[in-house]
Amino acid sequence: MTNVKPIVLRKGRGSMRLLIAASLTIVLIAAIAQTAAGSYNMSWREAWNALTDAGVWRHPAVLLRFLLGEAFARAHGFAEMQPLDTTTLIVWNVRLPRVLTALMVGINLAFSGSIFQAVTRNELASPYLLGVSSGAGLAILVVLVLYPALGPLIPLAAMAGGTLAFLIVYAIAWNRGTSPVRLVLGGVIVGAIAGSLQTGIFFLARDISVMQNALAWTVGSLTGADWRQVRMILPWTIITVVLGLSASRNLDVLLLGEANARALGMAVERNRFLLAAVAIMAAGSSVAVAGLVGFVGLIVPHVVRSLVGSAHRRLLVGCLFAGPALMTSADAFARLIASPVQIPVGIVTGLLGGVFFLYLMRQRREIGKP
Amino acid sequence: MSELTPQNPGLDGERLELRYDERYPPVIDGQSLQILPGKITALIGANGSGKSTLLKALARQLQPESGRVILDGHDIATLAPRRLAQKLGILFQEHIAPGDLTVEELIYHGRYPHRGLFESLTPEDHAAVEDALRMSGLEAIRHRPMNQLSGGQRQLAWIAMALAQSPAYLLLDEPTTFLDPAHQFDVMDLILRLNRERGKTIVLVVHDLNLAARYADYLFALHSGRIVAFGPPARVLTVDILREVFEVETEIVRDHGERGFFCIPISRARPK
Repeated sequence: MTNVKPIVLRKGRGSMRLLIAASLTIVLIAAIAQTAAGSYNMSWREAWNALTDAGVWRHPAVLLRFLLGEAFARAHGFAEMQPLDTTTLIVWNVRLPRVLTALMVGINLAFSGSIFQAVTRNELASPYLLGVSSGAGLAILVVLVLYPALGPLIPLAAMAGGTLAFLIVYAIAWNRGTSPVRLVLGGVIVGAIAGSLQTGIFFLARDISVMQNALAWTVGSLTGADWRQVRMILPWTIITVVLGLSASRNLDVLLLGEANARALGMAVERNRFLLAAVAIMAAGSSVAVAGLVGFVGLIVPHVVRSLVGSAHRRLLVGCLFAGPALMTSADAFARLIASPVQIPVGIVTGLLGGVFFLYLMRQRREIGKP
Repeated sequence: MSELTPQNPGLDGERLELRYDERYPPVIDGQSLQILPGKITALIGANGSGKSTLLKALARQLQPESGRVILDGHDIATLAPRRLAQKLGILFQEHIAPGDLTVEELIYHGRYPHRGLFESLTPEDHAAVEDALRMSGLEAIRHRPMNQLSGGQRQLAWIAMALAQSPAYLLLDEPTTFLDPAHQFDVMDLILRLNRERGKTIVLVVHDLNLAARYADYLFALHSGRIVAFGPPARVLTVDILREVFEVETEIVRDHGERGFFCIPISRARPK
């Protein structure tokens, strides 16, 4: 009776290993490409040397100074900055934090999409299609343009906006339960309204730089991302990953349907609400640092699920690697394809997402049937 | 006295009024029933008579408009969800599960009410799952994904999940409806063994009167939201009661040995 077990498990583990190995390779290549290329060009070897510079890694104070910021370091009397190579400074000050931000945005969006798909029992769900990203983006623009003094609260504003948008979408879609199509339609409605309001707010901006900044936001861009963005998203990423993984069994049980979940003793409404809150937190914090990057939360869970199955422990672990792979490679592509001009990464993921959506529709004919 | 748990086992519905929508009249209108512990009880009735609704209320899947359900001396409205799920399992008519979920993975979900958020599987969990696999005869296909099972195997897997939950009360809504005769026997025989060998109290909604006659110890016959008859099959399955409940004329055949007892519908009953 146990002789069947290893075979089946090996298959699952094998594709998981393959997924992780492929994802890590993509992340590594994207990271080196991102650190080497740019207006200050360096060879891949130089980039690698800068990334592994002993001057940084041997001195925790230097490392923490990058991570926690100059102001924090000064306030807590860190050791003085060591003199570092120019390449090291460029890599560590400008290029590495952008890669790290992309990585965490990838994790957050993939987790958010996976959780939304389980909570709404809807394979089309993702923070972007459910209007959560748009709501978060609108809240950010309001803060950015109308109350710039509240800048540090941007992630929280994004989460509040995302929550409001999700509640409205659910209310629109609700008709004694929801269907995938009604939820997506609700998302389209809220997305359209939030989009119009976003554009409207542009006209209230007094400063042209604020407006440019805001414009990049609405397409989703990592241009100019530095350690501040890393610090902004890192805590939320950690919370998302910990909560997401520890809730994986609950997500699995939700997939058995509301009645069965209740029969198994789950407080279904409370669980749904809390899990949606985690998904909104993940999406809101990535919108706060990268703007409205679309479709990552749709594509990644689908691809990972087709490789490792729908059990959430495996699915989320897969997303932990595949999310960063998609996001870092898309951002490297966006930054380097038309160099010196940088395309916002949201345009790349939008193109990918459109094609992927088409593929989903042709592949699964039952999608969209009531 | 109602606080005593072990002394007064049983599942009772007291003056239950059930409805899904305020705009419509109640589906069940102030009915009381007593499910006897350790027995197999079947709810029979025509479509729309309210038998599935009643079953849902007994499992707290539907909040009664008035009245209450008492499980082993406790009002089930006051029980914590997990506590209730440890005592009582319910299986619905239709199921949805991810197609790649294996039989074993599904059955492990039955342990949900026994595990805390961060608790890993205990030997007790493994033992319950193994026992459920053995009882349901699914050991050989434990690693097969659900979408590669036949309808009968799938139903057995869901029953096994509810079994892993190790509830004393198991409620089933038309467990045999979509199955061919062979699989109907598989499912009913499993249910019978759960009752006889494990002492589970079984409540099931059935359409097939002959299955009810053969397997149930007691029957409740429902007609438009009211319980019109209760008792052992031989007392409930009579020409008069069946005419009232199903609006058909039947012939009862009783000479097929001990379990042999058949209701043969002859024609639609003429309106009175």
